[in-house]
Amino acid sequence: MSLLYDEGQLAIATESRRVLEARIMPDALLPLLEQSGQYHAPYWETAKEQGWTALALPEAYGGLDLGLVELGLIAFQIGRSLAGAPFLTSSFGAARAILDLGDEGLKNDWLPKLASGESIGAVAFAEGQSVLGTSVRFADGKLTGTKPGVSGGLHADVAVVLANDNGTPVIVVAALDGVTKTAINSFDNSRCVADLTFAGTPATEIARGEDALDAARHVLALQSVVTAHEQTGGAEALLERARDYANTRRAFGQVIGAFQSVKHRIAEMYGLVELARAGALHAATREGHPDFLKAAAAARIQATDSYDTCARDCVQVHGGIGVTWEAGLHLHMRRARTLAMELGNLFFWEDVLVDCLEGEAA
Amino acid sequence: MSDLETFRTRARAWLESVAPTYGKAAQTHLAYEEKLALGRRYLKARFDAGFAGINWPVDMGGQGLTHIEKVTFETEEMQFGMPTHFFGISLGMPVPIIMKFCEDKAWVKERVLKALQGEEIWCQLFSEPAGGSDLAGLRMKAEQDGNGWKLNGQKLWTSYAQYSDYGVIVARTDPTAQKHKGLTYFWVDMRAPGVEVRPVKLAGGDSHVNEVFFDDVKIDDSHRMSPVGGGFAVAMATLMIERYVATDSGGFGPHLDLFVSLAKDVEINGQPAIKDGRIRQQIARNYAMRNGLDAITARAMLMMQAGMEPGPEGSLNKLVSVRSRQKLSELAIDLQGTDGLHFDEHLSVKDNWQTSWINAPTGRIAGGADEMLLNTIAEKILGLPQDHRPDKGVPFNEIPA
Repeated sequence: MSLLYDEGQLAIATESRRVLEARIMPDALLPLLEQSGQYHAPYWETAKEQGWTALALPEAYGGLDLGLVELGLIAFQIGRSLAGAPFLTSSFGAARAILDLGDEGLKNDWLPKLASGESIGAVAFAEGQSVLGTSVRFADGKLTGTKPGVSGGLHADVAVVLANDNGTPVIVVAALDGVTKTAINSFDNSRCVADLTFAGTPATEIARGEDALDAARHVLALQSVVTAHEQTGGAEALLERARDYANTRRAFGQVIGAFQSVKHRIAEMYGLVELARAGALHAATREGHPDFLKAAAAARIQATDSYDTCARDCVQVHGGIGVTWEAGLHLHMRRARTLAMELGNLFFWEDVLVDCLEGEAA
Repeated sequence: MSDLETFRTRARAWLESVAPTYGKAAQTHLAYEEKLALGRRYLKARFDAGFAGINWPVDMGGQGLTHIEKVTFETEEMQFGMPTHFFGISLGMPVPIIMKFCEDKAWVKERVLKALQGEEIWCQLFSEPAGGSDLAGLRMKAEQDGNGWKLNGQKLWTSYAQYSDYGVIVARTDPTAQKHKGLTYFWVDMRAPGVEVRPVKLAGGDSHVNEVFFDDVKIDDSHRMSPVGGGFAVAMATLMIERYVATDSGGFGPHLDLFVSLAKDVEINGQPAIKDGRIRQQIARNYAMRNGLDAITARAMLMMQAGMEPGPEGSLNKLVSVRSRQKLSELAIDLQGTDGLHFDEHLSVKDNWQTSWINAPTGRIAGGADEMLLNTIAEKILGLPQDHRPDKGVPFNEIPA
């Protein structure tokens, strides 16, 4: 895996950008904010039709056998265009957990359907402030309890759930038929976040004990690398909008981009975008290496900071127009915060990273 | 192994073999002049070993390789702390520029060979008291004097001028022209009558930079390296030569693993500082950022190897890394409590937090102030407009003071 994209990878980037720019309009995304539980169906249809759901899964299960670098390229464009649903990352996380930990039966049950997009997957690890929450009970093959705030959970068909079996952490896979899904009203409603309440839901164990916690971190790391690309794409879109606005909006007899307070702010955004891009790509190339978790944590921290900061500063550069509903910059503000929370907040990732570094230092 | 890896292995083996003689440990407790002498011996050894002028032509005493090998060697060399800084400017800019712009090739070759072997040092006389970032605003006068020129004025921040044999200099030959158009580029003999070098002591205690006075210094017209009035273009060419240099995401200060070690050794509220959330957050954020810079550098190297032009994001390194070094050094001193008050100005900025901290501001100013780098990113990469420039299009001698 190289830090330089090859021709095939560049073609993926170009084509996904073309398709998304033709089909995703902010006008369609704004109304979704005001109703909980609705996602942008044309986006998800596009993702399925283009094979993005299958991209990073093995051919044996209907996948295209590509990896994090390619999925990252798609996610980057999705970040630029603002995805109308969280399912690409949530399904990928669920599929990778099943692929890496599940038995053949489970793989055959779910992977082809996740690859085609016929089924939607969710990863349900967090509980409130605990990124790796285990309060849901698993006993006799059945789950009981509530996983709050599961991204994509409202429309998911299958969830990978972190739970406890008599106090021991376990990861289980549960079909969500019959599970109570309660949509929550969020500041970014197309994420279709829901509380999932299990009441004796049949589930299959795929990991146990410390291994389960390690596996959970690994799944989050995989999703974080994809998301770091998405965050970078969002940050880049904001950088371009800030630049374009500063080059046209006039005040005091000149374009505002001629004022250093404005142009330096935008130059700093450029730095943040490039740091995020480099970190995300580096992490994507490290899958399978011992330093993957460290690279993923670093990528997540940088990309999260970059996207949040670009959202903040792009609005600031726009002045009054930046805070209007119609300008839509708040779509990025909302998405930046949502992506910062999904997959674990930075407190969690800073600890993951420093734990890795602590192990290394003399 | 690729050719480049073979080269790297060979370079590393040689560096390791001479590290006891010239490396960091060999320099402790050496006086400044002794360090310079050691540096000269190191350059001679490097020349003899075939690692000098790596991307320079063979007929000039170089190795005839590419800038990829050059950056690779410098990256390896940097880790040993070899005493090369006296020669960094000399070999980085003035000497390559005389190779490119001086016509007397026999004379040039003699200079290049002596510079490569540490026998002669060149300095670069650009900045002045009235301006560093605003290079084209310089005031040093060069007036025609018979068949040659007469220099009068003052330069400032000239690194290693006190040890230099020669220098390249930009001077104003026509004050009635617009600022960029009235400049001419020369080389000067630093031992010529009328040249006076006075070291300037910096905040950290060292005096490697100087003010250099020119009082009726006469030079022959053969010293001229640009058309009359065409000096700005050669000055820009000089600054562009060093585009591919070894970078350091630690901002040429201590690396993050030293900070992690420190945080494990000291305590906050009775527990190791590394367990303190404030410290953990700083470590994590710094690591994430430096990891990004390292990936940018790694990608640039791959692009060069593939014959591609690296992207402009390489320009971020100095901006981002040095200011992070500055803050991290402050934090490291905080962490040490009263132990952090100890100071030894001779300790290396690469592994001492105090010297790193006190010298960090220089890194944010020299070679392009942070604000200039931001302007460059904004204007050259993002296409934002130039600042309002009252001096634009105005003859130099009519610019409002």
